[in-house]
Amino acid sequence: MKIQRNKSSIYLFKMTNDKFKLAYGITPEEALSILGLRLTAEEMNLIVRDKYRRIKSKDLVNYVDRLG
Amino acid sequence: MKIRNRLWLDLGEVGSLLTNFGCHQDHAVGLLMTILRNAHIEIALASTRSIFSKRQLLRKFKRVDMLIMSVLSINYPFAVKCAKLFKKVNPDGIVIVGGLHASVAIDEMVSVKQFDYICRGPGENILIDLVTKPDKFGRVIEGTGAKAMADWPDIDRTLWPKPAINIPGMMNTWPLEKYTIEEPPSATILTSRVCPWQCAFCNESSYIANMVRKPVELVIKELNDIDRRFGPLNSVIIHDSNFFQNPKWIRKWIEKYPKLANSKWPYWAAARTDTIRRWPDLFVMLLKETNLRTISLGLESGSDNVLKILNKECTEEDNDFAIDLINRTGDEMLTRGHEPPRIYANIIFAIPGETKDDARKTVAMLKRIRRVRPSVSYFAPYPGSILGYQLIAEGKSLMTQNGYHRYPGTETLKGIDYKFYDKLLLDLPNYQSPKGTKRLARRMAKSIFSRILGDLQ
Repeated sequence: MKIQRNKSSIYLFKMTNDKFKLAYGITPEEALSILGLRLTAEEMNLIVRDKYRRIKSKDLVNYVDRLG
Repeated sequence: MKIRNRLWLDLGEVGSLLTNFGCHQDHAVGLLMTILRNAHIEIALASTRSIFSKRQLLRKFKRVDMLIMSVLSINYPFAVKCAKLFKKVNPDGIVIVGGLHASVAIDEMVSVKQFDYICRGPGENILIDLVTKPDKFGRVIEGTGAKAMADWPDIDRTLWPKPAINIPGMMNTWPLEKYTIEEPPSATILTSRVCPWQCAFCNESSYIANMVRKPVELVIKELNDIDRRFGPLNSVIIHDSNFFQNPKWIRKWIEKYPKLANSKWPYWAAARTDTIRRWPDLFVMLLKETNLRTISLGLESGSDNVLKILNKECTEEDNDFAIDLINRTGDEMLTRGHEPPRIYANIIFAIPGETKDDARKTVAMLKRIRRVRPSVSYFAPYPGSILGYQLIAEGKSLMTQNGYHRYPGTETLKGIDYKFYDKLLLDLPNYQSPKGTKRLARRMAKSIFSRILGDLQ
């Protein structure tokens, strides 16, 4: 049995307060739904859903100061 | 400045090397000390794990010009205190630090004025220059490492710190090691470095790029050399974050280990459930042919939602598949008179977004494992991990620069009902909570250490 899967990616979503939110999933949409499992509706509303970029894990450190 | 006396300070779990009761060692310290020794650079070694008093530590620092420490997040508070103490004794002395925490929390490290040089990333290729000509470097240094594990020398295990006291009648395994998970004496080794997955709770992939895995023949040769020199060995602990990856390498291991090793030592190694599901025949062969006695299995949770929050890229189905396969194979081996493999089940509780039902599903999953030893952590938002960085930014972390721990009993996040989890642990199969004499011993060790370094805060 061979299971082929799509790899999860890391996404950086823009927020309305000029900060960024880290999320991960196979697609940006899935990344948002995973965020929704732990954030309140109020916190989710701060995320600009169509403004995001994909980043690599080794580059995470470059964005730390801009997360919120 | 001419450097005359260098000291490497090994930072580790308090009290773990006061006696020969246990003996665990740090491969980074062993490798880097070996590289320096091979370059004929004289350096002494001390360990915070084997000192009894602050006075003793001060004595170690006397007439030392250079202090070197490899700092993990969990050791960071010790490193800061030791650097402060060192500078009190040697105001002109140099403190060099590196290790994982320097890569994932550089701002924290830079804020400590006692750290004169901070090496980010792997340091093995610049270490010799750094300790002989530090003034050629800036304060923050981008380290460089080897591309392949075959480029590393075998660790000279006699360079590792020794237990301070040998209690007569108790096995002294040094420089071999003593774990409770396999029969001592054990040799710990690495065959691969850096797990290629990106679990949200782990900071490994943000630290070092993947390295080419050590060839099977070299792994076996190293084990045979250790056995001849310090043995006889009774077991092997393979410290890879994920041993069961790269089928080509695993096939070679299955072919060569039983034939070429001095003995087919039982061993402990890690696997993921999705790769077991992907290559089940290979995994069963590994269990049956090579004496993989304990599988350190990254189950983490029995709930799909939580596995997604952790970016584990495994599912409940993967976990169930792996558990069933190992249960079945173990039963079969038992019927044939062989010792069955057991699962060292890595579990994380108290994850942000985890519901009480999710946690109960995890307990139910553990109960389906026939031969299990749970290894439970409470989620800890470590800097360097995706979820750690994000939770720190959201102001939800309770971890401070004075405590980077993930042991049950430690509250690391706001908004988590830790009392629920403390109670839940009592329902786990074979869960060994620290109690009685063990708890007392741990408290005493903590108290001794806080007395040693407490006045530096």
